Amino acid sequence: MTTATDSPVRRLPPPAGGAVALTAARLLWLELRRNTMPWLLPLIAALLWFDSYRPSTGVAPYWVLRTFWNMGQGHTIVDVAPFVAGVAAWMGSRDGRRGTADLLTAAARPRWAVQLATWAATAIWAVGGYLVFVGVMFAVYAYQGARGEPPWWWVAVGAAAVLAFSAAGFALGALYPSRFAAPLAAFGALLAMGTSSQIGFSHTSGWAQILPTNSHGNFQPDSGMLYPWLPDLAIARIMFLAGIAVAALGALGLPAAAGGQRLRRAAGAAALAGVAAAGTAVGLADTARLGPQGLVIPALHDAANDRPIAYTPVCAGAGFRVCLNPYYRTDLAHVTAALAPVVREVAGLPGAPVGAAQTAARYSAGEGQGAQAMTISGHPPVLGMPLGALGLPAASGWAHGVAAGQLRLLFVHAFAGAGSGAGTPAQQAVQAALLRGTGIPFVMQSKLLSSVGLPGSKAALTATGPVYAAARRLAALPPAARDAWLAAHLGALRAGHLTLAQLP
Amino acid sequence: MTAAGVHQPVRQAARAPVRSPALGWLRLAYLYLISRRAPAALALLAALGALLWAALHWQWSIAGGPAAKLVIPLTIEAGAAAAVAVTAHGPFGEPERATGRWLPCLRLGAIVALTAAAAGVLAAGAAAGSLPGGFLAMLRNVAGITGIGLLSAAVVGGALAWTGPMAYLVLTETALAGHATTPWVWPARPPHDTGGALCAAGVLAAGTLLVTVRGARESVRD
Repeated sequence: MTTATDSPVRRLPPPAGGAVALTAARLLWLELRRNTMPWLLPLIAALLWFDSYRPSTGVAPYWVLRTFWNMGQGHTIVDVAPFVAGVAAWMGSRDGRRGTADLLTAAARPRWAVQLATWAATAIWAVGGYLVFVGVMFAVYAYQGARGEPPWWWVAVGAAAVLAFSAAGFALGALYPSRFAAPLAAFGALLAMGTSSQIGFSHTSGWAQILPTNSHGNFQPDSGMLYPWLPDLAIARIMFLAGIAVAALGALGLPAAAGGQRLRRAAGAAALAGVAAAGTAVGLADTARLGPQGLVIPALHDAANDRPIAYTPVCAGAGFRVCLNPYYRTDLAHVTAALAPVVREVAGLPGAPVGAAQTAARYSAGEGQGAQAMTISGHPPVLGMPLGALGLPAASGWAHGVAAGQLRLLFVHAFAGAGSGAGTPAQQAVQAALLRGTGIPFVMQSKLLSSVGLPGSKAALTATGPVYAAARRLAALPPAARDAWLAAHLGALRAGHLTLAQLP
Repeated sequence: MTAAGVHQPVRQAARAPVRSPALGWLRLAYLYLISRRAPAALALLAALGALLWAALHWQWSIAGGPAAKLVIPLTIEAGAAAAVAVTAHGPFGEPERATGRWLPCLRLGAIVALTAAAAGVLAAGAAAGSLPGGFLAMLRNVAGITGIGLLSAAVVGGALAWTGPMAYLVLTETALAGHATTPWVWPARPPHDTGGALCAAGVLAAGTLLVTVRGARESVRD
C-alpha cells in the first residue's frame, strides 16, 4: 500500500447552476414537508373567521366598509402575525434545541443558506395561508355583492406584515434556541401590534402612519368607488415591512458559524439594506399629507392615481333628477325619497337646484367620521352630494330615518348658503324653518346637526333662543308669503348679510 | 468466551449516594424542573412581572373601550400562562414515562409551583399602579388561561401549548369588543363574579388533571 502524497489534489468540478437550484429546491421541499406552520393554519383560519370576517358582516356591502375592520385597522394581521412569529421562532430554534447546530456548520451548505431554506418554507406556508384565507373572505364578500373595488394594496401590506413577522420570529428563535422562543415571539408580536394600535389611534399623521394598524386618513369612502385606492402609503408600509424582514434575515448570517466571509459580508449588507429600507419608509410616511383621495406621499405619488373612476350614473326622478354612482344604485330610491320634501319646499325659489348628482367624498383627518357639506353649483344649479362621507348605510341605515334627515339637513344647509360651518344666525334660522317644513321638528334638529358634524348650541338642544324664535316666525308664515320673502332675500342671506332682526 | 455467570443475579447498579429520602426527593424534583426549563420559565415570568410593572407605572394603555384597556395586562397574563404551559413539554419521551414512577406528582408540583410563581410575580408587578379588575381578576385570568395552556399541551403538545392561550386572547379581545357576557370569557366579568371564576377554575382543574395524569402530548411535529 502506497500513499501518493505527491499527486495533486483533484478538485471537484464546481456544481452546475442547475444542480445548485435543484438541490435548493429539494431542501426547500423537505422543509415544506417538515414544517409546523400547516398544523396551525386551521386554528388561524378559525380565528380569522371569528375576529376578521364576522365583525365585518354587520356593515353595508361596500368593499371599503366591509374591509375597514380587517384591512384598514389590520385585524387580519393581528390574528395571523402572532402565530406566524411563534411558529417561525419554533422553526428557527430547531437546530439549537436539538443540539445539531454544530453539525450543520460542517455540512455542505453554509448554515445561513440552510436557515434561509427553513425560513422560506415557513414563510411560504404563512403567506400562502394568509393569501388563501383573505382570498376566501374576499370571495365571500364578492358573492354577497360587495360594491366598489377590493383594496388589493392593503392585502399586499398584510402579506408583507406576515413575511416580516415570520422573519423576525425566525431570527429570534435562531438566536435564542429555547422552548420559550416561540411564546416569546408570539406574545411579543401581539404586544407589538397592541402598541401599534395604541400609537395609531392617537397619531393621525406623521411617522406613525407607517404602522399597519393605523387607519387614519387611509381607508375612507369613496376609495375604490369614485376614485382609486391610493397606493402611496401601502407602498411605504410594504417597504418598511420588507425592510424589517431583510434586516432580520441578514442578522442571521452575521455570526461566524453562518458561513464564509463573503457570505457573512453579504448578510451584513442585506441587514444594512433592510434597516435602510425600513428607515426610509418611516421617513416617507412622515412626509405624507392628506389629499382629497387619501394620504399622498410626494416621493411615491403617481398622478395617474388621482384620476376619478369613470362611470355612467344611474338616475331617478321625473322633474328633479337624482343621479348616483352605480355602486350606490341600491340607495338611489332612498336618496330620491329623502330629498323630495326639500325639493318641494324650495321649488321655484332662486338658486333652487334642478337636480342632484353624487360627488366624491373628500378624505378627512381621522377615520372619516362626520359628513361633508353639499354644494349647489352650475347653470342650471345642481346639488352636489358627497354621499360617501355620510357613511349612510353603515351609520344608521335607511330604516330609522336618520340618514334621510341628514340628507335633508345638508340640502337645506347648502341652500341657505351656510358653507361648511354652522352658518350665520339668520342662515341657521332659515335652515331650521325649512327643515321644519320638510317634517323635521325643531327639537329633533339638534341631534341631526351633531350627527353630520355641524356645530350646534345649548339653545339648539331645546330649540329655544333667538335663532329658533326667528325660525318659528318664518315657519309660521303662509307658504306664499314665506316664499316671497325668501325670493327677495336669498341673495343677502347666502352672502351672510342678513341678521336675525331682518327676518320676518 | 463462555456464557458462565449469565444465570447469576445481576448485581445492583451502584447507587448515587443518597443521604436521606428527603434529599433524594429534592434532587428528583430539581432534575425534573431543570428538564422542564423551569429556571428559564421563572426568569421569563419575572420579566413579564417587570413588564406589567412598567405598563402600569407609565400607564401604557390602548385608547378605546374596556377591551382596548385590557389588551396589555391581559397579554402579559396570557404570556405568563403560556410560559407555564410550555414547561409541560418533556424532552425524554417514552423512557421517562416508562420509568418515572413519581412523574404525575412531579408534573402536578411543577404546575402548581409555576402557576403560583406567575401569580406572585404579576401581583408584584401590579403594585405599580391600578390593574383593571385588581388582584382577584388577575388571579382568575392567569389561572384560567394557564388551564387553557395545559389543555393545549395535552392536545397538541407542550411545545405548541402557547397557541391555546394566544387563541383565547385573540378570541377574548373580539368578544370584549362585542360586549360578550358569557362566563367563558372570564376577563370580561367583574372580579367577584362566580360564573367567571368557576369557569376559569374548571378549565385550570381540567388542564392540570390531564397533564398530571397523561403528561403533554409528544407526537407534535418538531
